[in-house]
Amino acid sequence: MDVLPIIYLIYMFISLYMLNFFLIIYFKNRKNFFDSPETTKKYSISFVVPAYNEGKTIEDTIKHIFDIDYAHIKQVIVVNDCSTDNTKQVLQKLKKKYKKLIIINNKINLGNAARSQNVGLKYVKGDLIAIVDGDSFPARDSLKKMVGFFDDPKVGAVTVPVLARNREKFIEKLQALEYIAISFGRKLLEYVDAIYVTPGPLALYRKEALLGIGGFDEDNLTQDIEATWDITSRGWDRKMALSTSVTSQVPDKWGVWWKQRRRWNIGGLQCIWKYRNSLGRHGMLGAFIIPFFVLSLFLGLIGLGIFFYLLITNIISKFLYTRYSIIAGTPIVSLNDFYLTPSFLNYLGIIMFLLGFAYLILILYALKEKIFVKENILNIPFYLIVYLMIYPFVLVDSIYHWWFGSKKWR
Amino acid sequence: MEINLFKSNKNVFWEALLVTILIFVLGVIAGFVLENWRTSNIDYLYVNSELNLLDVKVQSEIYGIGDFDCNAAINENINFANRIYEEANTLEKYQKASMLTEDLIVSHKKYDLLRTLLLLNSIKIKKECNASYSNVVYFYRFRDKNPDIIAKESVFSKLLVQLKEKMGNEILLIPIGFDGNVSSVKLILDNYNISENELPVILINEKIKIKDVETVEDLMKYFD
Repeated sequence: MDVLPIIYLIYMFISLYMLNFFLIIYFKNRKNFFDSPETTKKYSISFVVPAYNEGKTIEDTIKHIFDIDYAHIKQVIVVNDCSTDNTKQVLQKLKKKYKKLIIINNKINLGNAARSQNVGLKYVKGDLIAIVDGDSFPARDSLKKMVGFFDDPKVGAVTVPVLARNREKFIEKLQALEYIAISFGRKLLEYVDAIYVTPGPLALYRKEALLGIGGFDEDNLTQDIEATWDITSRGWDRKMALSTSVTSQVPDKWGVWWKQRRRWNIGGLQCIWKYRNSLGRHGMLGAFIIPFFVLSLFLGLIGLGIFFYLLITNIISKFLYTRYSIIAGTPIVSLNDFYLTPSFLNYLGIIMFLLGFAYLILILYALKEKIFVKENILNIPFYLIVYLMIYPFVLVDSIYHWWFGSKKWR
Repeated sequence: MEINLFKSNKNVFWEALLVTILIFVLGVIAGFVLENWRTSNIDYLYVNSELNLLDVKVQSEIYGIGDFDCNAAINENINFANRIYEEANTLEKYQKASMLTEDLIVSHKKYDLLRTLLLLNSIKIKKECNASYSNVVYFYRFRDKNPDIIAKESVFSKLLVQLKEKMGNEILLIPIGFDGNVSSVKLILDNYNISENELPVILINEKIKIKDVETVEDLMKYFD
């Protein structure tokens, strides 16, 4: 057998393994999938919201926070990082309405969310710290569904599903699907203690856990991933409250989307490099999370390499074939070319695609999303075939930027 | 603070591995079954073709005892060539799709030998009967990965199909693949001064060698 079919089979095996892994976890735990523990404790909560040019969304974010059905919100600290739009004016207007709103205006622009968050952490007084992005909108029941997990003294952080707020444009709809799939996967990872991120749109930390790691890494472009890895390495558990959510503005242009994903990838690479000595150590961080990230990296790069190899050889073959056909006066395309004889790898590929499709349908069903609507029927195949295939290209761009030191947040 | 490797569902990693191996092995077995089924189809066709060629050869021997019926011999030969040309197309398609087994490669070589016998029989009949049809033998590289060779061979194949359509039974079209491992085919190539590096080559009436791509109209001029 040639090398390429062997590589293809390896990819199939890994994909099938991950699919079975997630399915087994789901079917073992589906009865308590949406459970959130109740609590009688009254945890006081301080919110920290970094804001840079969030004039369009910050008012809605603050309103959503204060609308949360929870009686023990101690303070909402917004750190304005020298916004150049009307963020400051909006916040000053909100200050008149919300007495617990504390506004910190940085004297100089700090350049990234992590630095602003750390500024905010200096003022927290609550038992728990909620981190919310300036363009995110927590659900009304979010805190009630999250705080109960902290009755377990080993829990250091709780996350929730992050869902797309804007779902009008095609790119937004694809991200909506993606965010749902990611949320489902993250909940499954909770059952094997492998949650690797408590995302910035809404994450709740035990004060001791977050301040114990010194706050957020200001050099990391995905400080939420880094913080999660840090608290994991110190033995803290991470949980997810699936029965609530936070919605967040997703990029509505491909250029903005690309930059966001590049930033995520660079942050991931930074984390892998920073925690490289934790491989095989520190519980699930070294046993699963880091190997999972590294394997994804390699599979993406090798897959991209093979893609380009096949593309180039195909182009060369087609060019040569067309050239000879023109000389010979034979048809470039004939009916016989459409009589396909699929190999068993083709059949396996079709089966894998169908399994992926079925898995996505299961996710939508499990999370009570509408399945048989026009947008999902059209978007799901595009998501599986095209959207996911763009990732390796972003990865290459990210590696380039990471290697040559371009770590700008904005 | 105690760090536990597995908090719950700790066997899920091994369970998933077991299930994956099971499904994967079943998939590979299904692949073998598919390819074996295709090989069986080809072998069935081959056995019938081999029988037909033997029949043609025996008929030639019988005619050698008495009067040689050239028309019958020529028609049998041409019909047989047309049929195994179609079987060759099926074999090529199955072979391109074959990933797990090499059985079809063996079948391919058996067909190449069969077609070599067909060529030799045709040369004999032409000589005995002073037949007017032309032998058009297409020697090609078998399992070559060079894109230039593959492109050229694809175009040659289409060219010969067009030639056959235009000239019908005036030509006997015999494709013979060569991968260096079949001695008889190597001998035939040596006999006609065709080196392996020159392939693909079209040989017309054991004399005219065509190595470059030409139009079907230009090819037809060689038969005038």
